[in-house]
Amino acid sequence: MNKEEVIEIVNNFLVEEFEVEQEVISPKAPMKDTLGLDSLDYVDLVVIIESNFGVKLGEADFVNVESFQDFYDMIENKIKAKA
Amino acid sequence: MSKIKCAIVTGGSRGIGSAICQTLAMESEYHLLINYTANKAAAEATLQKVEESGGSGEIIKFDVSNSEEAKAVLTTWQEANPDAVVEVVVNNAGITKDGLFMWMTYQDWDSVIQTSLNGFFNVTNFFIQKMLRNKYGRIVNMVSVSGVKGTPGQTNYSAAKGALVAATKALAQEVAKRNITVNAVAPGFIKTDMTEAMDESELKKLIPLNRFGEAQEVADLVAFLVSKKSGYITGEVININGGIYS
Repeated sequence: MNKEEVIEIVNNFLVEEFEVEQEVISPKAPMKDTLGLDSLDYVDLVVIIESNFGVKLGEADFVNVESFQDFYDMIENKIKAKA
Repeated sequence: MSKIKCAIVTGGSRGIGSAICQTLAMESEYHLLINYTANKAAAEATLQKVEESGGSGEIIKFDVSNSEEAKAVLTTWQEANPDAVVEVVVNNAGITKDGLFMWMTYQDWDSVIQTSLNGFFNVTNFFIQKMLRNKYGRIVNMVSVSGVKGTPGQTNYSAAKGALVAATKALAQEVAKRNITVNAVAPGFIKTDMTEAMDESELKKLIPLNRFGEAQEVADLVAFLVSKKSGYITGEVININGGIYS
């Protein structure tokens, strides 16, 4: 799975799950504020990522995630580490 | 395929746990997971009563105090039942190892904490993410008058149940946004195997209602708390003790 595919899958479920317009998701935008995430919303991200990519995320994985780009990179690294 | 809604009752084979299973079988639509550790015959008897009441259920054997075993058994069950959604967790499993604190062994301290307190973690933590995702849940923790008042001779049990009271209040605030309620039920003297050796005729003098409670009376309260009718109650500890402590 290449980077573009990861981004497309992630963006599609973010739009669906958090009911935001595709346009507001840009790589440098702050993910938490843009999506209006509260602490419990992370459970949705964890479950969706696991079901789509087969990788398990924990709290520590989100420590350095600020922008959407950080999020894509983190998932990509997780997928690579699993392969 | 439609989702199968389930309720798990730990320590569901005997006493209050068994009464809870039977009551939920009659008063709810939940498929019951009757957890037990050692007494298979009692678990089977409870399942039979559940089915005779028109409910459905199954037995699920694991020791709640063993985190690895609990996780493994629950994972296997969930994988075998992908359409099952556990909406209700009743943390009822508990043991007592009574004795004066000055004589208490570490083992008696630890085993009581492991079952009552860590058992809550091992089962509830397994289901909580799924409940959060499902945006609905009912968690009921069986505590005890010992956990709110403290009972001499039960420093271990009182500590475990008192900690569970605090965990109830904390978790209730964490998950309320997702329509999950967490409450505790604190029974006093209830007629079960656990109180069989007690002298009711003497002890009832201490109880304003002048009798031991029935497991059914506790089960009725739990059935209310796991129902949709109780949706605005969370983080509460509800005493059911005949007035012995409030």
